[in-house]
Amino acid sequence: MKHRKKGKTASPEFYSVVKSRLGGETITLCYQCGTCAASCPVAKITERFNPREVIRLSLLGERDEVLTGDAIWLCCSCYNCQERCPQKVEIADLMYALRNIAFKEGYIPNIYSEFASAILDNGRIVGVSKFVEKKRPDLGLPPLQPTGVDALRKILSATGFDKLQQKKEGA
Amino acid sequence: MGEVKVGVFLSDCGKQLSEILDFNALTNYVKKVSGVVLVARSSEFWRGKGLQFIVDAVKGGKTNRVVVAESLPKLSEVNIVQAVEEAGLNPYLVEVIDLKDHCAWPHRETPKEATEKAKAMLLAAIERAKLLEPIEKLEFPVLKSALIIGGGIAGMQAAVDLADLGFEVNLVEKAPFLGGLAARAGRFFPTDDCAICIQSPASDVKTITHTSRKCVYRSGFSEIPNLNILTNSKIVGVEGVPGNYKVTIEKKPTYVDELKCVACDLCTTICPVEVPDEYNAKLKTRKAIYMRVPNVHPPVYVIDESACKFHDCAKCVTICPTKAIRLDQKSKQITLNVGSIIVATGFQEWDSSIIKEYHYDDYPDVITNLELARMIDGFGPTGGVIVRPSDRKPAKKIVFIQCVGSRDRRWNPYCSSICCMISLKHASLIKSAYPDTDITICYIDIRTTGRQHEDYYERAREMGVKFVKGRPSEVSRDPETNKLIVDVEDELLKRILELDADLVVLAPAMVPSEGTKELAQIGLEPLLDEDGFFKEYNAKLRPTETRLRGIYICGGATFPKDAPTTSLHAHSAAIKAAKFMTTGKIVKDQRTAVINDEYCGDCEFCPVTCPYGAISLVSTDEEHIVAEVSDLMCEGCGICVGTCPLNAIELRHSRPNQMLVQMKALMSINGTSKPLVLAICCSECGHTAVDSSGMAMMQYPANVRVMKVPCTGILQVHQFLEAFRVGAQGVMVVGCKSDGCHYEVGIQKAEKKVELARVLLKEYGIEPERLEMYNMVFIEGDKFAEAAQTMTERLEKLGSLQLMGAS
Repeated sequence: MKHRKKGKTASPEFYSVVKSRLGGETITLCYQCGTCAASCPVAKITERFNPREVIRLSLLGERDEVLTGDAIWLCCSCYNCQERCPQKVEIADLMYALRNIAFKEGYIPNIYSEFASAILDNGRIVGVSKFVEKKRPDLGLPPLQPTGVDALRKILSATGFDKLQQKKEGA
Repeated sequence: MGEVKVGVFLSDCGKQLSEILDFNALTNYVKKVSGVVLVARSSEFWRGKGLQFIVDAVKGGKTNRVVVAESLPKLSEVNIVQAVEEAGLNPYLVEVIDLKDHCAWPHRETPKEATEKAKAMLLAAIERAKLLEPIEKLEFPVLKSALIIGGGIAGMQAAVDLADLGFEVNLVEKAPFLGGLAARAGRFFPTDDCAICIQSPASDVKTITHTSRKCVYRSGFSEIPNLNILTNSKIVGVEGVPGNYKVTIEKKPTYVDELKCVACDLCTTICPVEVPDEYNAKLKTRKAIYMRVPNVHPPVYVIDESACKFHDCAKCVTICPTKAIRLDQKSKQITLNVGSIIVATGFQEWDSSIIKEYHYDDYPDVITNLELARMIDGFGPTGGVIVRPSDRKPAKKIVFIQCVGSRDRRWNPYCSSICCMISLKHASLIKSAYPDTDITICYIDIRTTGRQHEDYYERAREMGVKFVKGRPSEVSRDPETNKLIVDVEDELLKRILELDADLVVLAPAMVPSEGTKELAQIGLEPLLDEDGFFKEYNAKLRPTETRLRGIYICGGATFPKDAPTTSLHAHSAAIKAAKFMTTGKIVKDQRTAVINDEYCGDCEFCPVTCPYGAISLVSTDEEHIVAEVSDLMCEGCGICVGTCPLNAIELRHSRPNQMLVQMKALMSINGTSKPLVLAICCSECGHTAVDSSGMAMMQYPANVRVMKVPCTGILQVHQFLEAFRVGAQGVMVVGCKSDGCHYEVGIQKAEKKVELARVLLKEYGIEPERLEMYNMVFIEGDKFAEAAQTMTERLEKLGSLQLMGAS
């Protein structure tokens, strides 16, 4: 169990940062009933993710623990929690909001970073495997080429995504 | 009316004021004002010799308009007005102002400026006094009879109170039997005794003691001579006015003659129709002819018309030894005239099947607390044994789920306030009867806020009831064993649990009882709040009154309540209704709105705006529609005045010409080097904020002048413009808090009009920030002083206002 010195929270204003982000607006409605945690298919199989705990840490200002940890990236976006939350906290959307904040700060698990590179390079999250490449001509399908990469790059550069991604890769 | 003779009485408050204000200058100034015939000065005018002096002047015919400058006018005015009335002058010809808190004390650092402001204040009072008109006292009859809607414990307790006080009471209950929720709940916390127990009526002479309380069936409740009980009845219409309502009631047939039935039970033995017993949570069946439980009122059988085969069967008719069955009974319309109405329609459990993941509608072993109460009851369908409804086997593992549909922003955002206690009570009762039962209560927060309530929580823990902090996400069922599984996170352990259970008990939200909305359509809709409960006039001071005179509310109809609070509420509503009816009349000043028929016509603004429903529309001979004000229902706020686009409504006690002369007078003398500010304050919170700033001697400049209106809702846009025309450089409008208007909506109307006036000012090339709306209460005197200061500084920066054609 972690101990923090009495009376010291890292960033007491963190909840308002989250609240100002798209998807994070409803965070303060949470009264910690745990319906989300008990509904969560991920929490059922691993202790590394518990939506209620992520919200609680955020509300208590444990900013670094939330942003640098891997919990927020483990949400599988099934929206079960959001559907059942009695306070209408948009929990799944909140996880996106937290991920966005984390990414801006340069925190992103490698696997996601690889996805991002893959999108920028090929326009696809999942690369085309050797097996697929081989099989397609047999089925009379044309080989898969990177598609829409220019348009995607334009969009992602307009959002600043590419720079953040480069920063991450450089880091 | 004759000649207007104004007497001005200046109190220096034991020379406190004359140290700041130049009283000789004030006296000399006032003497010269036209219409003033008498000026007197004393240390106080609101009691003793000073007051006698006013009385003598009135009695001697020296004066017929009384202007008094006295401290604490909100107190002293009461005394002065009473004395003046006894002396033979209409009390509405008296004007009292406060030279202490509104002038001398807040401006004590600038005595010369204060004296000039005092002159303006006196002039305004004198000019207004000259235009005042006498207002008559009106009397309206009030019938000494009440209608109580709802025969649960709230309605029954209120009925006993009112009947004991000698009023005619009509108690209407829609079910065939009295008792409401209490009759089903079995036991109540915090006494753990029977729910269906009431105070003894005074008519129970043989056994009554100072402290007696009794089961309804042995209380003699039904035999109270001045109590008329109408069960199986429904309100279908209410007409009339406070003090004299005409109520139409539909009494549905029970098909059994109450006077002949001797409750021998032969009919149920022969009746061939069996239906689920809703009273016993469908855990039992009953016949089409039935009685709920043996100890209810009325103690007679009734026929369920949705189940009975009537003449196709008629076996009960043949067997009934007293010939009490009347298969051709028809519903009856009953008309009653009553003086007041008490709404005691109660609450009920919310329909838990809406939360699909708890499977209330498709798993028989998922039940609610009220259904569990029937099982715990020895009289109940299982004789007190706790079973799984699916197979009737004893339930050994029970899981309670709290907050089902309450504290839930999707359905009922409020905390239903009694469900924690109900579950704790049930858990303890089960544990005491069957100690080996494994009970878990899943909660978000346990709320035990009443007297002895925490004891229940403690006792439950002692008995081994387990508590899991966490709201279950889902109830599922093992298809083989039929056992229920409750998914919940134990938050304190941060562990996801799967609790197995024989029985899952939901603690549903408590919502307004069925038919509340329908009932409200008889003219009570404006009294419903956003959750559908009846809303009191003021939660702190008038918890059982509504904004409609003569209509009272109590018990669960206003919000879910435990039994002690329901009783308190019922007694409160009864005493309020009694107070209203006791003299048999309403005595009320005609301090009301008056319509000018010449201007009024063909618009519908005022009836919609009036918070008291005091304005109706009538057709004239020329086929125009004009407004008509009920002097009985009008509360004299003036919101209609502010709404009328044609200036066709005025208040008798606050006419536009009176306001205009006051404004002019207040702006006629400056005496300071600062721009004049007119602060228009409502007579409630707004004006008291000015009082309290003065009382605390908070300083603000003497260029700020205060004018009182009944409610800021009376103000019209053109009056703001007029203030500028007569010399104001800035206007402050000071009213109650946005949600705390003493007349419900006046402040909101004023806020909108100030907004509109600011747009107009801009159009006219006047800086809109010269006009501002403020919301203040008594304890915010500092806010008023600060706002007055800020407004002055703002105007100084803006510079002098130049109006074309200004006088």
